[in-house]
Amino acid sequence: MEMLIQFLTNTGYYLADYRHVIMLAVGMIFVYLGTAKKYEPLLLVPIGFGILIGNVPFFKGFGLGIYEPNSVLHYLYFGVTTGCYPSIVFLGLGAMTDFSSLLARPKLMLLGAAAQMGIFFTLLSALALGFLPKEAASIAIIGGADGPTSIFLTAKLAPHLIGPVAIAAYSYMALIPVIQPPIMRLLTTRKERLIHMSELREVSKRERIIFPVVGVILCCFLAPASIPLLGTFFFGNFLKECGVAERLAQTARTAIIDTATIFLGLTVGASTQGDVFLTPKSVGIFCLGAIAFSIATASGIIFAKIMNLFIKDKINPLLGAAGVSAVPGSAREVHLVGQKEDPTNYLLMHAMACNSSGVIGSAICAGILWSFLL
Amino acid sequence: MYGFEAIDAANGWSMAVAGALIVFSGLVVLSFVISQINKVLTFLENRFSIFKPNHKAPQANENETEETLEVPHYIPSNIKEAARYYYPLIEGLDQPFDLTRLYEISQQKGFPHPHITISHLRQACILAPAGDGLFTWNQPQSEKN
Repeated sequence: MEMLIQFLTNTGYYLADYRHVIMLAVGMIFVYLGTAKKYEPLLLVPIGFGILIGNVPFFKGFGLGIYEPNSVLHYLYFGVTTGCYPSIVFLGLGAMTDFSSLLARPKLMLLGAAAQMGIFFTLLSALALGFLPKEAASIAIIGGADGPTSIFLTAKLAPHLIGPVAIAAYSYMALIPVIQPPIMRLLTTRKERLIHMSELREVSKRERIIFPVVGVILCCFLAPASIPLLGTFFFGNFLKECGVAERLAQTARTAIIDTATIFLGLTVGASTQGDVFLTPKSVGIFCLGAIAFSIATASGIIFAKIMNLFIKDKINPLLGAAGVSAVPGSAREVHLVGQKEDPTNYLLMHAMACNSSGVIGSAICAGILWSFLL
Repeated sequence: MYGFEAIDAANGWSMAVAGALIVFSGLVVLSFVISQINKVLTFLENRFSIFKPNHKAPQANENETEETLEVPHYIPSNIKEAARYYYPLIEGLDQPFDLTRLYEISQQKGFPHPHITISHLRQACILAPAGDGLFTWNQPQSEKN
Protein backbone atom coordinates (compact mmCIF):
# COMPACT_ATOMS: atom_id res chain seq x y z
CA MET A 1 0.00 0.00 0.00
CA GLU A 2 2.83 2.38 0.92
CA MET A 3 4.53 1.60 -2.37
CA LEU A 4 1.33 2.40 -4.25
CA ILE A 5 0.97 5.72 -2.45
CA GLN A 6 4.60 6.53 -3.15
CA PHE A 7 4.07 5.72 -6.81
CA LEU A 8 0.96 7.89 -6.97
CA THR A 9 2.75 10.84 -5.39
CA ASN A 10 5.39 10.58 -8.13
CA THR A 11 2.90 10.73 -10.98
CA GLY A 12 2.35 13.81 -13.05
CA TYR A 13 -1.26 14.02 -11.85
CA TYR A 14 -0.10 14.54 -8.27
CA LEU A 15 2.83 16.82 -9.06
CA ALA A 16 0.94 19.13 -11.46
CA ASP A 17 0.20 22.70 -10.42
CA TYR A 18 -1.50 25.63 -12.19
CA ARG A 19 1.69 26.55 -14.13
CA HIS A 20 1.79 23.16 -15.79
CA VAL A 21 -1.87 23.48 -16.71
CA ILE A 22 -1.31 26.93 -18.24
CA MET A 23 1.68 25.78 -20.25
CA LEU A 24 -0.05 22.60 -21.41
CA ALA A 25 -2.90 24.80 -22.65
CA VAL A 26 -0.39 27.02 -24.48
CA GLY A 27 1.18 23.92 -26.04
CA MET A 28 -2.22 22.68 -27.18
CA ILE A 29 -3.00 26.09 -28.71
CA PHE A 30 0.27 25.95 -30.65
CA VAL A 31 -0.45 22.45 -31.89
CA TYR A 32 -3.99 23.52 -32.81
CA LEU A 33 -2.82 26.63 -34.68
CA GLY A 34 -0.21 24.64 -36.54
CA THR A 35 -2.44 21.69 -37.39
CA ALA A 36 -5.94 23.09 -37.84
CA LYS A 37 -5.18 26.67 -38.91
CA LYS A 38 -1.97 25.73 -40.72
CA TYR A 39 -0.12 28.74 -39.22
CA GLU A 40 3.56 27.90 -39.86
CA PRO A 41 2.95 24.19 -39.09
CA LEU A 42 6.59 23.22 -39.57
CA LEU A 43 7.48 25.44 -36.62
CA LEU A 44 4.41 25.46 -34.40
CA VAL A 45 3.84 21.71 -34.38
CA PRO A 46 7.32 20.77 -33.03
CA ILE A 47 7.35 23.74 -30.63
CA GLY A 48 3.80 23.05 -29.43
CA PHE A 49 4.51 19.38 -28.86
CA GLY A 50 7.78 20.34 -27.18
CA ILE A 51 5.80 22.51 -24.76
CA LEU A 52 3.59 19.52 -23.95
CA ILE A 53 6.63 17.30 -23.33
CA GLY A 54 8.48 19.95 -21.33
CA ASN A 55 5.53 20.60 -19.04
CA VAL A 56 4.71 17.09 -17.99
CA PRO A 57 5.37 17.25 -14.22
CA PHE A 58 8.10 14.88 -13.13
CA PHE A 59 10.06 13.89 -10.11
CA LYS A 60 13.15 16.14 -10.01
CA GLY A 61 16.55 14.47 -9.82
CA PHE A 62 15.88 11.56 -12.19
CA GLY A 63 17.65 13.29 -15.09
CA LEU A 64 14.43 13.75 -17.04
CA GLY A 65 13.97 17.50 -17.48
CA ILE A 66 15.64 19.63 -20.10
CA TYR A 67 17.51 21.61 -17.45
CA GLU A 68 18.81 18.50 -15.63
CA PRO A 69 22.32 17.43 -16.61
CA ASN A 70 22.62 14.11 -18.44
CA SER A 71 18.98 14.00 -19.51
CA VAL A 72 18.25 13.16 -23.15
CA LEU A 73 16.44 16.46 -23.63
CA HIS A 74 19.40 18.29 -22.12
CA TYR A 75 21.71 16.78 -24.73
CA LEU A 76 19.34 17.64 -27.54
CA TYR A 77 19.06 21.17 -26.12
CA PHE A 78 22.83 21.49 -26.41
CA GLY A 79 22.36 22.36 -30.11
CA VAL A 80 20.26 25.34 -29.07
CA THR A 81 22.46 26.66 -26.27
CA THR A 82 25.58 26.48 -28.43
CA GLY A 83 23.87 28.05 -31.45
CA CYS A 84 24.47 24.95 -33.62
CA TYR A 85 20.88 24.40 -34.75
CA PRO A 86 20.35 27.99 -35.99
CA SER A 87 23.56 27.72 -37.97
CA ILE A 88 22.41 24.45 -39.56
CA VAL A 89 18.97 25.92 -40.29
CA PHE A 90 20.68 28.80 -42.08
CA LEU A 91 22.62 26.33 -44.23
CA GLY A 92 19.34 24.82 -45.39
CA LEU A 93 17.74 28.24 -45.84
CA GLY A 94 20.62 29.30 -48.07
CA ALA A 95 20.19 26.16 -50.16
CA MET A 96 16.49 27.00 -50.55
CA THR A 97 16.75 30.70 -51.31
CA ASP A 98 16.64 32.04 -54.84
CA PHE A 99 18.24 35.46 -54.94
CA SER A 100 17.30 36.12 -58.59
CA SER A 101 14.68 38.73 -57.75
CA LEU A 102 17.06 40.53 -55.40
CA LEU A 103 19.82 40.49 -58.02
CA ALA A 104 17.40 41.79 -60.61
CA ARG A 105 16.41 44.73 -58.42
CA PRO A 106 19.10 45.35 -55.78
CA LYS A 107 17.53 48.53 -54.46
CA LEU A 108 14.85 46.40 -52.79
CA MET A 109 17.61 45.40 -50.38
CA LEU A 110 17.22 48.81 -48.75
CA LEU A 111 13.75 47.80 -47.58
CA GLY A 112 15.31 44.80 -45.85
CA ALA A 113 17.69 47.20 -44.14
CA ALA A 114 14.94 49.64 -43.14
CA ALA A 115 12.86 46.89 -41.55
CA GLN A 116 15.69 46.22 -39.10
CA MET A 117 15.03 49.54 -37.40
CA GLY A 118 12.45 47.76 -35.24
CA ILE A 119 15.33 45.90 -33.61
CA PHE A 120 17.11 49.05 -32.46
CA PHE A 121 13.93 50.78 -31.31
CA THR A 122 13.09 47.73 -29.20
CA LEU A 123 16.61 47.67 -27.82
CA LEU A 124 16.01 51.14 -26.41
CA SER A 125 12.54 50.22 -25.14
CA ALA A 126 13.81 47.11 -23.37
CA LEU A 127 16.63 49.04 -21.74
CA ALA A 128 14.15 51.68 -20.62
CA LEU A 129 11.98 48.98 -19.04
CA GLY A 130 14.88 47.84 -16.90
CA PHE A 131 16.19 44.84 -18.79
CA LEU A 132 19.96 44.32 -18.68
CA PRO A 133 21.79 45.25 -21.92
CA LYS A 134 22.36 41.63 -22.98
CA GLU A 135 18.73 40.75 -22.25
CA ALA A 136 17.56 43.86 -24.11
CA ALA A 137 19.57 42.89 -27.20
CA SER A 138 18.12 39.36 -27.12
CA ILE A 139 14.60 40.75 -26.92
CA ALA A 140 15.26 43.37 -29.60
CA ILE A 141 16.32 40.77 -32.16
CA ILE A 142 12.73 39.44 -32.14
CA GLY A 143 12.04 42.49 -34.36
CA GLY A 144 14.05 40.78 -37.06
CA ALA A 145 11.24 38.18 -37.18
CA ASP A 146 13.79 35.46 -37.63
CA GLY A 147 13.47 32.54 -35.20
CA PRO A 148 16.92 30.98 -35.67
CA THR A 149 18.66 34.37 -35.46
CA SER A 150 16.77 35.22 -32.26
CA ILE A 151 17.71 31.88 -30.72
CA PHE A 152 21.32 32.23 -31.80
CA LEU A 153 21.79 35.68 -30.28
CA THR A 154 19.90 34.83 -27.11
CA ALA A 155 21.99 31.67 -26.66
CA LYS A 156 25.08 33.84 -26.80
CA LEU A 157 23.93 36.79 -24.71
CA ALA A 158 21.11 35.72 -22.38
CA PRO A 159 20.70 31.92 -22.42
CA HIS A 160 18.17 32.05 -19.57
CA LEU A 161 15.74 33.84 -21.93
CA ILE A 162 15.92 31.37 -24.83
CA GLY A 163 12.48 29.91 -24.08
CA PRO A 164 10.45 33.13 -23.99
CA VAL A 165 12.42 34.79 -26.82
CA ALA A 166 12.10 31.79 -29.11
CA ILE A 167 8.42 31.31 -28.36
CA ALA A 168 7.77 35.03 -28.94
CA ALA A 169 9.76 35.09 -32.19
CA TYR A 170 8.06 32.02 -33.62
CA SER A 171 4.63 33.08 -32.40
CA TYR A 172 4.88 36.40 -34.17
CA MET A 173 6.18 34.68 -37.31
CA ALA A 174 3.13 32.43 -37.21
CA LEU A 175 0.85 35.38 -36.54
CA ILE A 176 2.02 37.35 -39.58
CA PRO A 177 -1.41 37.07 -41.25
CA VAL A 178 -2.92 38.70 -38.16
CA ILE A 179 -0.28 41.33 -37.31
CA GLN A 180 0.97 42.66 -40.64
CA PRO A 181 -2.10 43.35 -42.83
CA PRO A 182 -3.65 46.00 -40.51
CA ILE A 183 -0.31 47.84 -40.34
CA MET A 184 0.03 47.65 -44.13
CA ARG A 185 -3.45 49.05 -44.67
CA LEU A 186 -2.99 51.73 -42.03
CA LEU A 187 0.21 53.08 -43.54
CA THR A 188 -0.61 52.91 -47.25
CA THR A 189 -3.27 54.44 -49.45
CA ARG A 190 -5.27 52.38 -51.91
CA LYS A 191 -3.46 54.13 -54.75
CA GLU A 192 -0.13 53.03 -53.32
CA ARG A 193 -1.30 49.46 -52.88
CA LEU A 194 -2.29 49.40 -56.54
CA ILE A 195 1.22 50.20 -57.79
CA HIS A 196 2.41 47.51 -60.19
CA MET A 197 6.06 46.62 -60.11
CA SER A 198 7.82 46.40 -63.45
CA GLU A 199 8.91 43.00 -64.73
CA LEU A 200 12.20 41.76 -63.30
CA ARG A 201 15.10 41.30 -65.69
CA GLU A 202 16.53 37.86 -66.28
CA VAL A 203 19.45 37.07 -63.99
CA SER A 204 22.32 35.02 -65.38
CA LYS A 205 23.63 31.92 -63.68
CA ARG A 206 27.04 33.54 -63.26
CA GLU A 207 25.51 36.40 -61.28
CA ARG A 208 23.78 33.94 -59.01
CA ILE A 209 27.04 32.06 -58.45
CA ILE A 210 29.05 35.21 -57.73
CA PHE A 211 26.46 36.64 -55.28
CA PRO A 212 27.04 34.27 -52.31
CA VAL A 213 30.80 34.77 -52.59
CA VAL A 214 30.49 38.56 -52.66
CA GLY A 215 27.79 38.44 -49.97
CA VAL A 216 29.77 36.36 -47.49
CA ILE A 217 32.86 38.53 -47.90
CA LEU A 218 31.08 41.89 -47.59
CA CYS A 219 28.72 40.94 -44.76
CA CYS A 220 31.11 38.88 -42.67
CA PHE A 221 33.91 41.43 -42.99
CA LEU A 222 31.49 44.04 -41.69
CA ALA A 223 30.14 41.95 -38.82
CA PRO A 224 32.40 38.93 -38.22
CA ALA A 225 30.15 37.82 -35.36
CA SER A 226 27.53 36.91 -37.95
CA ILE A 227 29.80 34.28 -39.55
CA PRO A 228 28.01 31.32 -37.88
CA LEU A 229 24.76 32.41 -39.54
CA LEU A 230 25.74 34.15 -42.76
CA GLY A 231 28.70 31.88 -43.46
CA THR A 232 26.48 28.81 -43.61
CA PHE A 233 23.67 30.76 -45.30
CA PHE A 234 25.80 31.87 -48.23
CA PHE A 235 27.54 28.50 -48.36
CA GLY A 236 24.17 26.79 -48.71
CA ASN A 237 23.24 29.22 -51.47
CA PHE A 238 26.52 28.59 -53.26
CA LEU A 239 25.86 24.85 -53.15
CA LYS A 240 22.51 25.51 -54.79
CA GLU A 241 23.80 27.80 -57.49
CA CYS A 242 27.17 26.32 -58.40
CA GLY A 243 25.48 23.43 -60.19
CA VAL A 244 28.15 20.86 -59.35
CA ALA A 245 27.05 19.99 -55.83
CA GLU A 246 23.34 19.51 -56.38
CA ARG A 247 23.30 16.40 -54.18
CA LEU A 248 24.70 18.38 -51.24
CA ALA A 249 22.32 21.26 -51.87
CA GLN A 250 19.41 18.83 -52.02
CA THR A 251 20.43 17.28 -48.68
CA ALA A 252 20.91 20.70 -47.08
CA ARG A 253 17.47 21.93 -48.09
CA THR A 254 15.65 18.74 -47.12
CA ALA A 255 17.11 16.28 -44.62
CA ILE A 256 19.51 18.63 -42.82
CA ILE A 257 17.19 21.60 -42.32
CA ASP A 258 14.29 19.32 -41.42
CA THR A 259 16.34 17.46 -38.79
CA ALA A 260 17.60 20.71 -37.28
CA THR A 261 14.10 22.22 -37.30
CA ILE A 262 12.63 19.19 -35.53
CA PHE A 263 15.19 19.25 -32.72
CA LEU A 264 15.23 23.04 -32.52
CA GLY A 265 11.44 23.28 -32.26
CA LEU A 266 11.04 20.35 -29.89
CA THR A 267 13.75 21.42 -27.45
CA VAL A 268 12.82 25.11 -27.53
CA GLY A 269 9.26 24.05 -26.74
CA ALA A 270 10.44 21.74 -23.97
CA SER A 271 12.53 24.56 -22.48
CA THR A 272 9.36 26.43 -21.54
CA GLN A 273 8.84 24.64 -18.24
CA GLY A 274 6.18 26.47 -16.29
CA ASP A 275 8.39 27.28 -13.30
CA VAL A 276 11.07 28.82 -15.56
CA PHE A 277 8.82 30.32 -18.22
CA LEU A 278 5.88 31.86 -16.39
CA THR A 279 7.56 34.97 -15.03
CA PRO A 280 6.82 38.71 -15.40
CA LYS A 281 9.90 38.91 -17.63
CA SER A 282 8.30 36.57 -20.16
CA VAL A 283 5.23 38.82 -20.31
CA GLY A 284 7.51 41.81 -20.91
CA ILE A 285 9.33 39.91 -23.65
CA PHE A 286 6.06 39.06 -25.39
CA CYS A 287 4.87 42.69 -25.31
CA LEU A 288 8.21 44.05 -26.51
CA GLY A 289 8.36 41.36 -29.20
CA ALA A 290 5.00 42.46 -30.59
CA ILE A 291 6.16 46.09 -30.59
CA ALA A 292 9.44 45.13 -32.27
CA PHE A 293 7.67 43.19 -34.99
CA SER A 294 5.12 45.94 -35.64
CA ILE A 295 7.76 48.67 -35.79
CA ALA A 296 9.90 46.57 -38.15
CA THR A 297 6.91 46.20 -40.47
CA ALA A 298 6.05 49.87 -40.25
CA SER A 299 9.61 51.11 -40.80
CA GLY A 300 9.92 49.02 -43.97
CA ILE A 301 6.69 50.47 -45.36
CA ILE A 302 7.56 54.05 -44.42
CA PHE A 303 11.01 53.73 -45.95
CA ALA A 304 9.47 52.48 -49.21
CA LYS A 305 7.24 55.58 -49.24
CA ILE A 306 10.28 57.80 -48.68
CA MET A 307 12.12 56.04 -51.53
CA ASN A 308 9.15 56.74 -53.80
CA LEU A 309 9.72 60.47 -53.31
CA PHE A 310 13.07 60.20 -55.06
CA ILE A 311 12.74 57.48 -57.68
CA LYS A 312 10.93 57.38 -61.02
CA ASP A 313 10.09 53.68 -61.10
CA LYS A 314 7.80 53.64 -58.05
CA ILE A 315 7.90 50.82 -55.54
CA ASN A 316 4.72 49.39 -54.05
CA PRO A 317 5.15 50.37 -50.36
CA LEU A 318 3.58 47.09 -49.24
CA LEU A 319 6.91 45.52 -50.12
CA GLY A 320 8.45 47.27 -47.14
CA ALA A 321 6.52 44.92 -44.87
CA ALA A 322 8.39 41.99 -46.41
CA GLY A 323 11.67 43.50 -45.24
CA VAL A 324 11.30 41.57 -41.99
CA SER A 325 12.98 38.25 -42.46
CA ALA A 326 10.04 35.94 -41.83
CA VAL A 327 10.50 33.86 -44.99
CA PRO A 328 8.24 33.32 -46.84
CA GLY A 329 5.29 34.30 -44.61
CA SER A 330 5.63 38.06 -44.86
CA ALA A 331 6.26 37.95 -48.65
CA ARG A 332 3.13 35.84 -49.05
CA GLU A 333 1.13 38.29 -46.94
CA VAL A 334 2.33 41.28 -48.99
CA HIS A 335 1.33 39.45 -52.15
CA LEU A 336 -2.11 38.63 -50.76
CA VAL A 337 -2.79 42.19 -49.58
CA GLY A 338 -1.72 43.48 -53.00
CA GLN A 339 -3.96 40.97 -54.74
CA LYS A 340 -6.93 41.93 -52.62
CA GLU A 341 -6.76 45.40 -54.13
CA ASP A 342 -5.96 44.23 -57.64
CA PRO A 343 -5.95 40.53 -58.57
CA THR A 344 -3.60 41.20 -61.48
CA ASN A 345 -0.91 42.67 -59.21
CA TYR A 346 1.81 40.07 -58.59
CA LEU A 347 4.12 41.19 -55.83
CA LEU A 348 5.40 37.83 -54.64
CA MET A 349 8.77 37.74 -56.40
CA HIS A 350 9.51 41.36 -55.47
CA ALA A 351 8.50 40.69 -51.88
CA MET A 352 10.81 37.66 -51.79
CA ALA A 353 13.68 39.99 -52.70
CA CYS A 354 12.94 42.14 -49.64
CA ASN A 355 12.43 39.02 -47.54
CA SER A 356 15.79 37.50 -48.41
CA SER A 357 17.56 40.80 -47.78
CA GLY A 358 15.75 40.90 -44.43
CA VAL A 359 17.33 37.55 -43.54
CA ILE A 360 20.77 38.98 -44.31
CA GLY A 361 19.96 42.21 -42.46
CA SER A 362 18.76 40.54 -39.27
CA ALA A 363 21.78 38.22 -39.19
CA ILE A 364 24.08 41.25 -39.53
CA CYS A 365 22.15 42.96 -36.71
CA ALA A 366 22.66 39.89 -34.53
CA GLY A 367 26.38 39.99 -35.27
CA ILE A 368 26.56 43.70 -34.49
CA LEU A 369 24.67 43.38 -31.19
CA TRP A 370 26.79 40.40 -30.17
CA SER A 371 30.01 42.30 -30.85
CA PHE A 372 28.73 45.38 -28.98
CA LEU A 373 27.95 43.32 -25.90
CA LEU A 374 30.78 40.80 -25.88
CA MET B 1 17.18 51.74 -13.17
CA TYR B 2 14.50 52.61 -15.71
CA GLY B 3 13.76 55.04 -18.55
CA PHE B 4 16.31 57.33 -20.17
CA GLU B 5 18.65 56.87 -17.24
CA ALA B 6 18.86 53.13 -17.96
CA ILE B 7 19.40 53.76 -21.67
CA ASP B 8 22.21 56.22 -20.94
CA ALA B 9 23.86 53.90 -18.44
CA ALA B 10 23.97 51.06 -20.99
CA ASN B 11 25.16 53.30 -23.86
CA GLY B 12 21.83 52.47 -25.49
CA TRP B 13 21.63 55.53 -27.73
CA SER B 14 25.06 55.01 -29.25
CA MET B 15 24.45 51.26 -29.64
CA ALA B 16 21.14 51.85 -31.45
CA VAL B 17 22.42 54.61 -33.73
CA ALA B 18 25.71 52.89 -34.55
CA GLY B 19 23.98 49.54 -35.06
CA ALA B 20 21.35 51.00 -37.39
CA LEU B 21 24.00 52.88 -39.39
CA ILE B 22 26.25 49.84 -39.71
CA VAL B 23 23.50 47.50 -40.89
CA PHE B 24 22.13 50.10 -43.28
CA SER B 25 25.49 51.01 -44.78
CA GLY B 26 26.39 47.31 -45.05
CA LEU B 27 23.29 46.52 -47.06
CA VAL B 28 23.66 49.67 -49.18
CA VAL B 29 27.20 48.60 -50.12
CA LEU B 30 26.03 45.04 -50.82
CA SER B 31 23.15 46.26 -52.99
CA PHE B 32 25.51 48.58 -54.90
CA VAL B 33 28.01 45.79 -55.48
CA ILE B 34 25.39 43.31 -56.69
CA SER B 35 23.90 45.93 -58.99
CA GLN B 36 27.33 46.16 -60.64
CA ILE B 37 27.90 42.42 -61.05
CA ASN B 38 25.80 42.28 -64.18
CA LYS B 39 27.55 45.31 -65.70
CA VAL B 40 31.00 43.96 -64.93
CA LEU B 41 30.14 40.57 -66.41
CA THR B 42 28.75 42.15 -69.57
CA PHE B 43 31.81 44.37 -69.86
CA LEU B 44 34.18 41.44 -69.46
CA GLU B 45 32.21 39.36 -71.92
CA ASN B 46 32.35 42.07 -74.59
CA ARG B 47 35.98 42.82 -73.90
CA PHE B 48 37.08 39.22 -74.37
CA SER B 49 34.72 38.35 -77.21
CA ILE B 50 36.29 40.95 -79.58
CA PHE B 51 39.57 39.04 -79.35
CA LYS B 52 37.95 35.84 -80.53
CA PRO B 53 38.79 35.11 -84.20
CA ASN B 54 35.26 34.25 -85.27
CA HIS B 55 33.59 36.96 -83.27
CA LYS B 56 30.40 38.13 -84.85
CA ALA B 57 28.24 40.92 -83.57
CA PRO B 58 24.80 39.64 -82.61
CA GLN B 59 22.20 40.36 -85.23
CA ALA B 60 18.85 41.65 -84.25
CA ASN B 61 16.88 39.23 -86.40
CA GLU B 62 18.98 36.16 -85.61
CA ASN B 63 16.86 33.17 -84.59
CA GLU B 64 13.80 35.34 -84.61
CA THR B 65 10.72 33.29 -85.10
CA GLU B 66 7.97 34.72 -87.20
CA GLU B 67 5.20 32.96 -85.41
CA THR B 68 2.13 34.97 -84.60
CA LEU B 69 2.17 34.58 -80.88
CA GLU B 70 -0.35 36.46 -78.82
CA VAL B 71 1.48 38.01 -75.87
CA PRO B 72 -0.95 39.29 -73.24
CA HIS B 73 -0.37 42.48 -71.24
CA TYR B 74 -1.54 40.66 -68.16
CA ILE B 75 -2.51 37.08 -67.48
CA PRO B 76 -6.22 36.75 -66.74
CA SER B 77 -7.20 35.21 -63.42
CA ASN B 78 -9.34 32.63 -65.25
CA ILE B 79 -7.00 29.64 -65.54
CA LYS B 80 -8.58 28.46 -68.80
CA GLU B 81 -7.86 31.84 -70.38
CA ALA B 82 -4.30 31.76 -69.05
CA ALA B 83 -3.89 28.25 -70.50
CA ARG B 84 -5.01 29.53 -73.90
CA TYR B 85 -2.12 31.99 -73.96
CA TYR B 86 0.39 29.38 -72.87
CA TYR B 87 -0.67 26.58 -75.19
CA PRO B 88 1.17 27.94 -78.29
CA LEU B 89 4.38 27.99 -76.26
CA ILE B 90 3.94 24.35 -75.25
CA GLU B 91 3.41 23.30 -78.85
CA GLY B 92 6.94 24.40 -79.66
CA LEU B 93 8.49 22.21 -76.94
CA ASP B 94 9.47 18.56 -77.01
CA GLN B 95 7.07 16.41 -74.99
CA PRO B 96 7.47 15.92 -72.07
CA PHE B 97 9.22 19.16 -71.24
CA ASP B 98 11.07 20.83 -68.41
CA LEU B 99 9.28 23.67 -66.58
CA THR B 100 12.50 25.71 -66.59
CA ARG B 101 12.42 25.65 -70.39
CA LEU B 102 8.79 26.79 -70.42
CA TYR B 103 9.67 29.56 -67.98
CA GLU B 104 12.62 30.70 -70.13
CA ILE B 105 10.56 30.80 -73.30
CA SER B 106 7.62 32.61 -71.70
CA GLN B 107 10.00 35.17 -70.26
CA GLN B 108 11.76 35.64 -73.61
CA LYS B 109 8.41 36.23 -75.27
CA GLY B 110 7.53 38.84 -72.69
CA PHE B 111 4.75 37.02 -70.86
CA PRO B 112 4.04 38.77 -67.55
CA HIS B 113 4.79 36.91 -64.30
CA PRO B 114 5.58 33.51 -65.83
CA HIS B 115 6.61 32.03 -62.44
CA ILE B 116 3.17 32.55 -60.96
CA THR B 117 1.21 31.56 -64.05
CA ILE B 118 3.18 28.33 -64.45
CA SER B 119 2.61 27.61 -60.78
CA HIS B 120 -1.16 28.15 -61.23
CA LEU B 121 -1.18 25.91 -64.30
CA ARG B 122 0.51 23.21 -62.22
CA GLN B 123 -2.00 23.58 -59.40
CA ALA B 124 -4.84 23.29 -61.90
CA CYS B 125 -3.22 20.09 -63.26
CA ILE B 126 -3.04 21.61 -66.72
CA LEU B 127 0.67 20.99 -66.47
CA ALA B 128 0.73 17.35 -65.42
CA PRO B 129 3.83 15.63 -63.99
CA ALA B 130 5.28 13.00 -66.33
CA GLY B 131 8.02 11.78 -63.99
CA ASP B 132 11.72 12.65 -63.77
CA GLY B 133 10.82 16.28 -63.15
CA LEU B 134 9.24 16.63 -66.61
CA PHE B 135 5.71 17.76 -67.45
CA THR B 136 3.12 17.34 -70.17
CA TRP B 137 0.20 19.52 -71.26
CA ASN B 138 -2.98 18.05 -69.88
CA GLN B 139 -5.35 19.29 -72.58
CA PRO B 140 -8.61 17.65 -71.40
CA GLN B 141 -8.08 19.05 -67.90
CA SER B 142 -7.53 22.48 -69.37
CA GLU B 143 -10.80 22.22 -71.25
CA LYS B 144 -12.62 21.19 -68.08
CA ASN B 145 -11.46 24.33 -66.35
